[in-house]
Amino acid sequence: MNAPDRFLKFVVPDGEARTSFIRDTKIERAGTYKVLCEDHTLGNLLRMQLHRNPEVLFAAYQVPHPLANHVLIRLQTTRKSSPTEALKQAIEEVRGEVDDLKNQFVNQVINMQQMAQGEAGAMGQGQMNYAGGY
Amino acid sequence: MAYPPPPGMGMMPMGGPHPMAAAGHHHQGVGSLGIPHKFQRKPKLTLRDMRDDYCEFELKNTDTSVANALRRTMIGEVPTIAIDLVDVEVNTSVLNDEFIAHRMGLIPLKSDFAVKMQTVYEAASGSNENNENYSAQSPTELTFKLHKRCESSQTAGIDVTSNDIEWDQAADGLDPNEVDVKPTTLAKLDESGNPEKGILIVKLRPGQEVKLTCIARKGIGKDHAKWSPVATAVFTFVPDIRIDQALMDTLTEDQRRAWIASCPTQVFELDPTTRRVIVKDPEAYTYDGECIKKAAEMGVPGLVEITPRSDDFVFRVETTGALPPATVVVWALETIEEKLKGTQEDIKKLIM
Repeated sequence: MNAPDRFLKFVVPDGEARTSFIRDTKIERAGTYKVLCEDHTLGNLLRMQLHRNPEVLFAAYQVPHPLANHVLIRLQTTRKSSPTEALKQAIEEVRGEVDDLKNQFVNQVINMQQMAQGEAGAMGQGQMNYAGGY
Repeated sequence: MAYPPPPGMGMMPMGGPHPMAAAGHHHQGVGSLGIPHKFQRKPKLTLRDMRDDYCEFELKNTDTSVANALRRTMIGEVPTIAIDLVDVEVNTSVLNDEFIAHRMGLIPLKSDFAVKMQTVYEAASGSNENNENYSAQSPTELTFKLHKRCESSQTAGIDVTSNDIEWDQAADGLDPNEVDVKPTTLAKLDESGNPEKGILIVKLRPGQEVKLTCIARKGIGKDHAKWSPVATAVFTFVPDIRIDQALMDTLTEDQRRAWIASCPTQVFELDPTTRRVIVKDPEAYTYDGECIKKAAEMGVPGLVEITPRSDDFVFRVETTGALPPATVVVWALETIEEKLKGTQEDIKKLIM
């Protein structure tokens, strides 16, 4: 009954920054990124990628409450890096990976379509239709 | 939506080669920030099956977080079109207005046109100003009509189905050649050659009538499940099955047969020449543990060891018919890219 509006899950409130950084007051090169309108999808993706970087001493994420529409990504790095650098790099790497996946998928769908069209042509019927079949 | 939908949306493999197809692996090597991608994985995707409403593919050499992000995005963040507002003019059916309105919302509408629409939130915030897919004219709403009456002569009563819903072109003023939004059908023919019946909304008895005006909007599954393009979007871990052959050799052939039969999904078989137990189909394993229990019962615990591989996933995606499965996967991947891009740009803007 008093749950927040559902649209707050994907609409950033007016005047609020989507991403902010809260520097740790006690530890050097440590801090928390707060990303609004994001959840486990982004949090876990970045956390796992940050773990692959040996300059990252600590990386974790949390969604503080099921009704909270933001994710906190907390990380600490060695002297050779900084939280911003590490996160930038992690994002860049995951983007590269997702882009790679998209290319592979699209290419294979096209190949499959072409093969299906070839077969259908050989059999003299054009009823096989992938992906755009509606 | 926090981030405008990706510009590439809609450029799906419907015909000619996809513009991305030629681009190849341009992201490898050095990134746009000049940072070498030291820790980037090289995933391997293998498409296995693609049908009108189903697709199956294997994802290898990546992390569970990537698999789960893809799954979550397909379910919750790929936009489709669904009926969102229902204006009830006449309803003398046995179902109340709210009941019918809810049923209307759940009917999948063919949603490729979603690329050219904007959500009410995007329209209100003007967040699409820089997005090539949108203009001020991008519609936020589509109007549908449903009017059905059971005459007193129709004593058997009639069905009101999704096939009775009609787009009201006059109300929206859009080009009918461009708008292809309608309740989905798989256009299968039944045994007598008639197109498949639509989705049943309500049954009418003689003298009953329903007359509705429906407003359909673009949305995502995060807002309401009716906007989710998938019926199921799941991934399973491919198991790593290791049989202790030395221990297996101590069993008689009858014992081996009994053990093989203990697996309800026929994962194992007896090699016809060597008479050894081999793994026939590891993916058939459902993690039920029956063969492990059986081995313990037979007094040979440790006969088989099964662990899920944490970098090998099989995805099964079944759509509602709102979007073709290939489109769902590509839009999901583009949505993830867009999320990452948005965060990346935000970070660059932050003053450290």
